[in-house]
Amino acid sequence: MNEEIRRVTGIILCAPLTRRTVRELLYCGLGGLAGVAGFWITIVMLALGLTISASILGTVIGLLLLTLALRVSRRLGALHRRLAGWLLRYRVEAPPKFQPGTGILGRLDKRLRDRAAWRAVSYSLIKLPVAAVQLYATTTACIGLVDITYPVDWVLFRHQATGPMVVVFPFPFSGTFNVYGFAGTYLAALAGVVCVLAGTWLARAVNVGDRRLVRALLGPSSMAERVSELERTRTLAVEDSAAALRRVERDLHDGAQMRLAALAMNLGMAREKLDDDDATVRELLDAAHRNAVDALADLRDLARGIHPPALDNGLPSALATLAASSAIPASVSADVGSRPAPAIETIAYFCAAELMANAIKHSYANQIKINIFTERSGVLCLEVTDDGIGGADAARGSGLTGLAQRVSTVDGHLELSSPPGGPTTVTVKLPLRA
Amino acid sequence: MRVVIAEDAALLREGLTRLLEDRGHSVCAAVTDGDALLAAVAAHQPDVAVVDIRMPPTHTDEGLRAALTMRKAFPGTGVLMFSQYIETSYSAQLLEGGAAGVGYLLKDRVANVAEFAAALERVAGGGTALDPEVVSQLFRASRQRGGLATLTPRERQVLALMAEGRSNSAIAAELVVSGGAVEKHVASIFTKLGLPPDESDNRRVLAVLHYLGSPA
Repeated sequence: MNEEIRRVTGIILCAPLTRRTVRELLYCGLGGLAGVAGFWITIVMLALGLTISASILGTVIGLLLLTLALRVSRRLGALHRRLAGWLLRYRVEAPPKFQPGTGILGRLDKRLRDRAAWRAVSYSLIKLPVAAVQLYATTTACIGLVDITYPVDWVLFRHQATGPMVVVFPFPFSGTFNVYGFAGTYLAALAGVVCVLAGTWLARAVNVGDRRLVRALLGPSSMAERVSELERTRTLAVEDSAAALRRVERDLHDGAQMRLAALAMNLGMAREKLDDDDATVRELLDAAHRNAVDALADLRDLARGIHPPALDNGLPSALATLAASSAIPASVSADVGSRPAPAIETIAYFCAAELMANAIKHSYANQIKINIFTERSGVLCLEVTDDGIGGADAARGSGLTGLAQRVSTVDGHLELSSPPGGPTTVTVKLPLRA
Repeated sequence: MRVVIAEDAALLREGLTRLLEDRGHSVCAAVTDGDALLAAVAAHQPDVAVVDIRMPPTHTDEGLRAALTMRKAFPGTGVLMFSQYIETSYSAQLLEGGAAGVGYLLKDRVANVAEFAAALERVAGGGTALDPEVVSQLFRASRQRGGLATLTPRERQVLALMAEGRSNSAIAAELVVSGGAVEKHVASIFTKLGLPPDESDNRRVLAVLHYLGSPA
């Protein structure tokens, strides 16, 4: 037990002599000053921005001031993060970079909804009392250091002088006291030691709280923000892959397909010009010609599977073409208001194609109905119904599982209704934007 | 035969030019986009234009849109659409104003030089040249809707004239009947072919395609 007490006392007394204390006190000083300045900058800009924007004429200037305040807060937040990293060795990741919107209103809107900046604003405001304590801690420690030097000062400078030495003792209800002799300077030095110890431990304590604030308000966002960030990047990924497929189809169209068509044409022309008696050459030329035409047909099917060109004119048009080439009579009714995102259109199209292929393969249907419409809630609804034998089961490893997975990449879902004896209806619901 | 070609791929443009000139036709202009096509047709007044559907700047259906404008502005000039794909909606738009002087072929068909040239000549002469795939698609789309067999001889006559791209009043003049009578026949044809009025498809086109798709 004694051992323990001695150890703790040792830690408490020796703490001021560590490097960490120097850094913590430096952080309190610099961070405290920055905190006070940041508080006033932020509060003045916010107050001005809010007051001005409340008047009709000043709205524009007020909003601009507000956005400026938000930008400045982000910068101040970065400064505090850096100080904490440098002096407290407490590294907090920066929140996600600001994503500017498009258009003047879009940019303004994005700025005003920048949650990371608003969190930085709240840090600036909460920081004021924290900064006050931090500055107090640093000041106390500094004064303590001065007090400790009094015996030396007395010997060096005051041995001839008259009058007392004033000792600052920055604790409540004390303030200053006077020392009249060399012996008294030991009391001053003792007071200095107390100040240094108090400053040190006060700094450590307040920095623990400040670390928490930095983490909570200047660090990466909360879970909800993280989710929305992931959603945004997923949308980008989905759209990017749709655009990539479209590009591949276009490259095929302008490249290989065009060259093959020209090749087939040239072979056809060559065939026409050939003398009839050259049987071997004609045979070879015929074979080459046939191969070119077949390759062209293969390539067309391939390209259509990558990105059906009819999708450029919207889903109804592409589905009409799809239905027209179906082996079972298929009809399409479409009522799509605003056009969905290209990625969504592509998913809906391939769902329809897959569901039709399923119906043709398994259902013994005589008729397929494709119905596509937008629900009022902004959901794209695709219904594929056949009058076949029914009894389809998503669990039994049909293509439906794959479809459901594909649909779920954009938060869509798939419902199957297929009682034995039919009819089978598959409903796919997709958001209008990925 | 005087021809204007609109095709953005140089290889095909030059190949087509050569193919047609080899067969003694004259290619007045070979252009690369829709606007240039309209200008060339206005300048040269050709018998027929061969038009690629996908052309700059958007590479979707510029060719088709230019062709539709051209059909309105220069009804005497035939249009042969030429594409890597057959799209039902394109066929329907193209045939909306009647099937006379209209063609829609896959680019593959140019491999059979003689057939391609014959198709082009047919279109230039006011006839029709539809790719077998176009016909099968459109016919399949409407085949479940009853057959031509139920039509009366008079209704068949009217349908045949519709397929030539004639308006109701022109049909009335040809058959020496009143406009009202033709309208009645047309309505009856729609009913018998199962083309109810609430449908968004162009019923006239579908009726014509019924006609085109059935062996006479």
